[in-house]
Amino acid sequence: MASHDESSVSRKKSSDSVDEISTFNAENMQINAKIISYSRTFMSIIGGVIAGILGFTGLTGFIFYFLVMAIMSVGLAAKAGFSAHPYFDSWNQILLDGFLGGLLSFVLFWTFAYDMVHIF
Amino acid sequence: MAEDLVLDTAIRDWVLIPLSVVMVLIGILRYFVSKLMRSSNQVPDPKMVKEGQVIIRARNLRAAANYIPAKSFRARRVYFSNEENGLLYVPKGQAQNAQAQMFSDPNMAMDMMKKNLSMIIPQTLTFAWVNFFFSGFVAAKIPFPLTQRFRSMLQNGIDLSTVDVSYVSSRSWYFLNLFGLRGLFSLILGEENATDDTQRMMQMSGFGFDPTKSLGAEKDSLDIFQHEWALPKFEQRAEAVLKKLVS
Repeated sequence: MASHDESSVSRKKSSDSVDEISTFNAENMQINAKIISYSRTFMSIIGGVIAGILGFTGLTGFIFYFLVMAIMSVGLAAKAGFSAHPYFDSWNQILLDGFLGGLLSFVLFWTFAYDMVHIF
Repeated sequence: MAEDLVLDTAIRDWVLIPLSVVMVLIGILRYFVSKLMRSSNQVPDPKMVKEGQVIIRARNLRAAANYIPAKSFRARRVYFSNEENGLLYVPKGQAQNAQAQMFSDPNMAMDMMKKNLSMIIPQTLTFAWVNFFFSGFVAAKIPFPLTQRFRSMLQNGIDLSTVDVSYVSSRSWYFLNLFGLRGLFSLILGEENATDDTQRMMQMSGFGFDPTKSLGAEKDSLDIFQHEWALPKFEQRAEAVLKKLVS
């Protein structure tokens, strides 16, 4: 059972009755998971470029990455109305999915921007 | 020891950017080539298709079981278990059949080889190109410090041992690109990109042994399944939704 959200972002409600059994619409859940992974990749790329331009080195850069991921998770949670249940499988999926792949892209673009700007 | 090296601007222009651009282009090229090569496929075996459809039906039953009353679910389950009972006994004689079929079928082996090669060859070629042209100098600086053990891995063209480990050769820039561009490819190429090795391996290994194991697995999971009726409170729920709509 799926009902569309009123906002323009295609975030689909994918679960059913609240008390007893949660039934999920598989296709909508896939769409939601795709949305998370796209946003996470995009944010890690942008975050990498920002970290490189600002000249973060060492631990500061990684802390910046965690900060960006945390902001993204908070934004996602706010968009989903602070309840993981109707939209996703579990909280873990919102918070931790795509973390490692995003880290690699972040490091790549961080190195790239840092070199461009500071060692040019 | 950690003085800042001043690196030539020409390195930026002629090493980092071209290498990244080439890797992105090769990834895009590989995606299109794999799409082209996939279109000329072999005709699927009707028996395998039939078994696949039975599995899909059983899975649908399991997925939507909570929407139908318990009695009808049980009736359907008996139908499947009995039907697959016959199918479950056959695979003992069919197990050898499927494997023999896989090995004696040259088309499938060729396809797997093609997919493997299309993954490995561009990587090998690019790696060789990088090694040949771009070795022997410092290419980039990683913004975070690493221990001394990484020196041999990251700096293998550079023969000075006093240079900071953050200054790496172009080989490590190649590897960094290889892993980091995966995310970028998933953004620009959509879902179907052939740059993820593990996904591809899982797809290929699950294809050949499909009929034998998954029939038994489906039957078992169908047997274990506990039916819970999800709809008894639905009238109240429908009423709540309608009330919200009306008010």
